[in-house]
Amino acid sequence: MTLEMDEKPKTILLVEDNKADIRLVQEALKNSSMTYEMVTVRDGVAAMAYLHQEAEYATVSRPDLIILDLNLPKKDGREVLAEIKADKQFKRIPVIVLTTSKNEDDIYQSYDLNANCFITKSRNLNQLFTIVRRIEEFWLTTVTLPSQ
Amino acid sequence: MTDTSVKFANVTNLNELERQAIHTSSLIQPHGMVLVLEEPELKIAQVTTNCYYAFGMTAQEMIGKTLEELFDPFQFDIIQRGVTQENLDFINPTKMWVRKNGDEYVIFDGVFHRNRDGILILELEPAESQESIPFLSFYHLAKASINQLQDTASLKDFCQIIVHEVRKVTGFDRVMLYKFDEDDHGAVVAEEKLEHMEPYLNLHFPASDIPRPARKLFSSNWIRLIPDAYAEPVELFPATNPHNDRPVDLTLSILRSPYQCHLEYLHNMGVGASLTISLIENGKLWGLIACHHLTPKYVSYELRKACEFLGRVIFSEISNREESEDYDYRMKLAQMRSQLIDNMSQSENLVQGLVKDQSSLLDIAAALGAAVCLNGTWTLVGETPKEEELNLLVQWLYKNIDEEVFCTDSLAEIYPEADSYKNVASGLVAMAISRRNYVLWFRPEVIQTVNWGGDPNNAYQTVNSDQGLRLSPRKSFELWKEEVRLTSLPWKQVEINGVKELRRVIVNIVLRQADELALLAQDLERSNSELKRFAYVASHDLQEPLNHVSNYVQLLEMRYGEALDEDAKDFIGFAVEGVSLMQTLIDDVLVYSKVDSQGGEFTMTEVEVALEQALTNLQRRIRDSQAEIIIADPLPTLKADGTQLMQLFQNLIGNAIKFRSSEPPKITIGVERQEDEWLFSIQDNGIGLDPQFGDRIFVIFQRLHTRDEYPGTGMGLAICKKIIECHRGKIWVESELGQGSTFYFTIPVGGRERDLRNGRKAKDYSFGGGQ
Repeated sequence: MTLEMDEKPKTILLVEDNKADIRLVQEALKNSSMTYEMVTVRDGVAAMAYLHQEAEYATVSRPDLIILDLNLPKKDGREVLAEIKADKQFKRIPVIVLTTSKNEDDIYQSYDLNANCFITKSRNLNQLFTIVRRIEEFWLTTVTLPSQ
Repeated sequence: MTDTSVKFANVTNLNELERQAIHTSSLIQPHGMVLVLEEPELKIAQVTTNCYYAFGMTAQEMIGKTLEELFDPFQFDIIQRGVTQENLDFINPTKMWVRKNGDEYVIFDGVFHRNRDGILILELEPAESQESIPFLSFYHLAKASINQLQDTASLKDFCQIIVHEVRKVTGFDRVMLYKFDEDDHGAVVAEEKLEHMEPYLNLHFPASDIPRPARKLFSSNWIRLIPDAYAEPVELFPATNPHNDRPVDLTLSILRSPYQCHLEYLHNMGVGASLTISLIENGKLWGLIACHHLTPKYVSYELRKACEFLGRVIFSEISNREESEDYDYRMKLAQMRSQLIDNMSQSENLVQGLVKDQSSLLDIAAALGAAVCLNGTWTLVGETPKEEELNLLVQWLYKNIDEEVFCTDSLAEIYPEADSYKNVASGLVAMAISRRNYVLWFRPEVIQTVNWGGDPNNAYQTVNSDQGLRLSPRKSFELWKEEVRLTSLPWKQVEINGVKELRRVIVNIVLRQADELALLAQDLERSNSELKRFAYVASHDLQEPLNHVSNYVQLLEMRYGEALDEDAKDFIGFAVEGVSLMQTLIDDVLVYSKVDSQGGEFTMTEVEVALEQALTNLQRRIRDSQAEIIIADPLPTLKADGTQLMQLFQNLIGNAIKFRSSEPPKITIGVERQEDEWLFSIQDNGIGLDPQFGDRIFVIFQRLHTRDEYPGTGMGLAICKKIIECHRGKIWVESELGQGSTFYFTIPVGGRERDLRNGRKAKDYSFGGGQ
């Protein structure tokens, strides 16, 4: 591992269509001391365009972690997950499924598609904040992410 | 004595009658001559031995001579041109003069035909010109007859006119119209005769009176004359055709001598001469016009042709008349049929539709009883055999009868067991719908008297003669009465056709209903998967905005709590509580909707395992409430959805704990085996409920208490009910307020599948099953 890489700030890609949910995640991480970049895209097509650095995303940096909602406009979260995990370039990027759903089928399907974890959003605000902060802490400090 | 015994009496004799090949007889009636010719030179190959009278030569001398040598060049020219034509009718008959001696001529009617082997045959009959009728007078005669016929109303009168006209034209002592029945025996339907003669009208004659070869002959040779029944026949010389060494085929010959037995038959009837005109309908011998004369009587070729013509014209009229007599009846049947079809299409159940108008169902076949068998269930109308008799009958039909529509007017004759119910079912029409599904119609036995012309059981006898054993017809044709038993009135063809038509419609309805069932199943499947989709949408898309309300209200409280007064905090509290209840309701509705869509994964499930799981899930509440759980009976293993079963126990035991009285809960779980289901019970010592609410508590969202008293959505028991319905069982409660409650539920022993099948059967939807 080189110094340059270590110094480079991490990028988290949040794929979430709902403004209120985006804001809640932001609120949860408001007072974080960690340095990273959080980018948001609002549908499945945009998520894939971002990864492939197409059009408006031509200059963006590749994400180190993806937080993915399942029910998305244009391209469903499950399709996005399947495409990421089927693509040699992207399959090592950890994908965290963060969704309102508690549906068993969704849980099974997500893991079948090699999601790295499946988390249901809590109805309780305190729990939700805790979950988001733990994601940040766990995936950005505890876990060793693959180098790019 | 039945008809059958007539048919089988003297079997050996009658078989011999059937065997006789009449057309190969080479005997010729002596009033004419037969010349078998070789083409193209028209050389005589065979000739009858009575030729000397006309030609002054013996048969031996005639052989090898050509017609050119026998007739003058003018005549020969006509003959030669005539026989090269395709259609010999153009030269038939030809007046032929034969010089016998000097200026002495004999005039003949010459008729040519080719037999089935293509051999040309010339038949010569003495021309009796004084009797021949000029064409115009024949025309008037025919026209007058036909006019008279057209004004005649009934078929019977019509036949009477035919015999009257034929007798007038021919002058025979007796003229009869003889109609063949289905079994080839016949009856005289019209007769005109000399007054003193014994009447044959309405008498029946056994089939053997006109054996099969004779009937065949009548079919190909439309007019047969025997001018002298006592005349000694003459022979062809040589007896066999020199070309093929076989007797020449004389089927189409008009001079061929009748078989000896037939001549004797005529002798015994006292007939000296006979003329027979065939009536053919659609290639089948319908009947005969039979003319008898007490003494020998010759009828000229032209007159015979006129009679044949008359016969054909008249007969085409008879056919029409028969058809139009059927017509009104056919229309009536069609009307009843469409009524039945209407009823069937309007009624959900085919059988109900069919038997709704009982008189139409019977009248459509003019029956007195009808029975519909659908999947082993009988619906009886009118006079019918008993169900157990019908079951055996249907088995017999199924094994022995291939026809889609089968009919008999003497069931006992082919199915002896029917003898015991001959009073209702001597006649049967059976319409097969599908495997072992039948519609049957019945007619009772009608004892009929048949008047025979002489004893039909002794129609023939064998006699010893100088030629050895031979057949001899009965001597007496006097009225011989026979009672026919075990027979119903015969089924008419129009009735059978109507039943066939009805069958077509029923089969179509059955097929259409099967299609509709398949469509229904498809629709159900589709709506089921739509429901599944809806349930998912409800869980996610409804939850999400609720979560936002909940989260942001909490965020408000968290961030600005210090700035808010107590009221504001209360209000926030209510909002959070409302959202939370809403979320629980959605969760429960989702569970409720899943109960149906998840069904289908029924496996052998140990009830004990499901119960243990439920108790584990309830662990904390059991501990907190100090509840005592007693499992009173060993629990069975049965076919069920284990998860649903666990949920069921969890809800019921959870309720027992929730609605506990002041004492610690005591919950007893029992089970006992009923006839074909398991009966479970869950008894508690809780607050109980007013029995009037016993049904209400299983309805979705129905609660007996406020949420402040007992929390909950009012979904728990509705879910239980749905789970049990999914298992084709029942659930109910027995309780008194303050006396605790016992919840009961049943699960069929064979699991859901068995009852599903029964459920379908009970629907009785159509003739469906096992086609």
